[in-house]
Amino acid sequence: MHTIVCMKQIIDPEVPPHLFEIDPDEMKQVRGTHPLVISAYDEVAIEVGLQLKEKTDGKVTVITIGDEDTVESLHQALAMGVDHAIRVTDPAFEEADAFGMAQILAAAIRRVGDYDLVLCGRQAGDVELGLVGPFLAEELDLPCASIIANVEPENGKVRMQRSVDIGYEVLEASTPFLATVTNDESNVPRYASVRGMLAARRAEIPVWSAEDLELDADELGLGAAQITIDDLYIPEREVECELIGGETGAEKAKNLVEYLKQEKVI
Amino acid sequence: MTILTICAFASDEVPSSALEALAAARHLAEALGDQEVQALLTGSGVTEHGASLIKRGADEVLVVDDPRLESLDGELVLEVVERAVDEVSPDIAIFPHTDVSGGHVAPRLARRLETGIVTDCTGFEVKDGAIQWVRPVYGGKAMAVMTATGPVQLATMRSLAFEPLEADESREGDVRELVVDLEGVEMAVPIVDTIVEEEAFEGPSLDRADVIVSGGRGMGDEENFERVKELARALDAAVGGSRPAADSGWVPHSHLVGQTGKIVAPQLYIAIGISGAPQHMSGAGSAKTIVAINKDEDAPIFKAAHVGVVDEWENVLPPLIEELKQA
Repeated sequence: MHTIVCMKQIIDPEVPPHLFEIDPDEMKQVRGTHPLVISAYDEVAIEVGLQLKEKTDGKVTVITIGDEDTVESLHQALAMGVDHAIRVTDPAFEEADAFGMAQILAAAIRRVGDYDLVLCGRQAGDVELGLVGPFLAEELDLPCASIIANVEPENGKVRMQRSVDIGYEVLEASTPFLATVTNDESNVPRYASVRGMLAARRAEIPVWSAEDLELDADELGLGAAQITIDDLYIPEREVECELIGGETGAEKAKNLVEYLKQEKVI
Repeated sequence: MTILTICAFASDEVPSSALEALAAARHLAEALGDQEVQALLTGSGVTEHGASLIKRGADEVLVVDDPRLESLDGELVLEVVERAVDEVSPDIAIFPHTDVSGGHVAPRLARRLETGIVTDCTGFEVKDGAIQWVRPVYGGKAMAVMTATGPVQLATMRSLAFEPLEADESREGDVRELVVDLEGVEMAVPIVDTIVEEEAFEGPSLDRADVIVSGGRGMGDEENFERVKELARALDAAVGGSRPAADSGWVPHSHLVGQTGKIVAPQLYIAIGISGAPQHMSGAGSAKTIVAINKDEDAPIFKAAHVGVVDEWENVLPPLIEELKQA
């Protein structure tokens, strides 16, 4: 099976709060010198794609939208075992909202052509709207399985698990389809090997522009339908930590219980 | 302006998430100047709940009750919601941000209707009749104020962001059936099985727990993690874990608290051996009282916690469990 994974590279979400800054003009996080990483759920989607590759003797293609900096994450995906990486970039894409992103990805996926399924992380680790995957399913007119954790081939179809309150549901789909992916025990992403990393650096990564995808930059998005960020701010969170004293652990435990009772927390 | 709120469920009771979305719709209706709230009630055998939605804030309830909706298949719910939106032409549609409604139905509907959507909102502001949706971004490190433009504004509401309204017996309104023919709807991704898992893991579910006890990397191994569970038992609390704890298999991923897990908002959250990385605080940061037990006084958790104990967990947990058992 040929799986296409849509990947977004983001600024490392593990940047501590005191180093987190926002650019009020651009309405986004200041890039600074923070590391760039594959958004967590997209990395999980890559893992699910790689497991399916192993089960079906298939292949995995990863697509990202972004400037040259994103090559680093594409290399990481290749080093994990992805077969092909494609970078889509154009100055015209910078203003695209989730509708526009889905149109760009749809055009790239159509250009790749023969595929069995498309995987997207359930949401990106920065703005976290969770729209691109479902939009892309509509854009490509594909059946959509949402928030599933694994994909098992079975009798020419595939089965997926989605966790619910009482356990999990088993969903069945025929290819081609799109799924948005979440994490569970079965899909903890593998590490990229050093050897994989060396090979990845030598890999050809095609770069596709708006022209290559026959996309008219002015027509990206859905006209009246727009999603805009009007304001972005860091909420004030002044927390004064009340440290519980005591000579020994037992004393601290006793004082903690007393404190919590006094504050009517327990 | 009219507001439609979506109440789709497969349980015997109306889930709190749906009542919270209804409350959000009611508050928005007031903020916009006494507007009408309609609720779409859909599922299998749900008609009897219509009257309670009126008491909880709806002015009118449209019911689509169909045995085919028993397992709440996303495609069928999407079909029902699309039909209802077509029928009542609301200006705003509000969904709970659940996996089916918020993660599947609402975004796909937005694309179909070619209209703007903001997901996982925790609030809104009304300025000159225009709505701005407020939601956390960057794992809760920032808040975004967003606008959705288009023929219908769609928004999904984060769990626990709004309190359900108290039932008001004096409220009156119509409950009427909406006929939607689901026979012809293709189930492209059918639910072929539902596996009920006996709660193999400790205690109650995280989602709406009042007290949560979580452990992290600092617990060291699975055997030590038993102490976290023991403390949870003493407090009748749910058990959570940080990403290292989940990835090591000490807690299942369904008990992972964080940006890639559950976002919780208990009254009391006790974090043991958890450094307080952004990934974790994204999920735990909304707790009313956070207690941290960590040997490293410089750990970031102490910047987020209200109460701290600086010590090895080995020294504190056993006497703490004893104290609480006696209490």
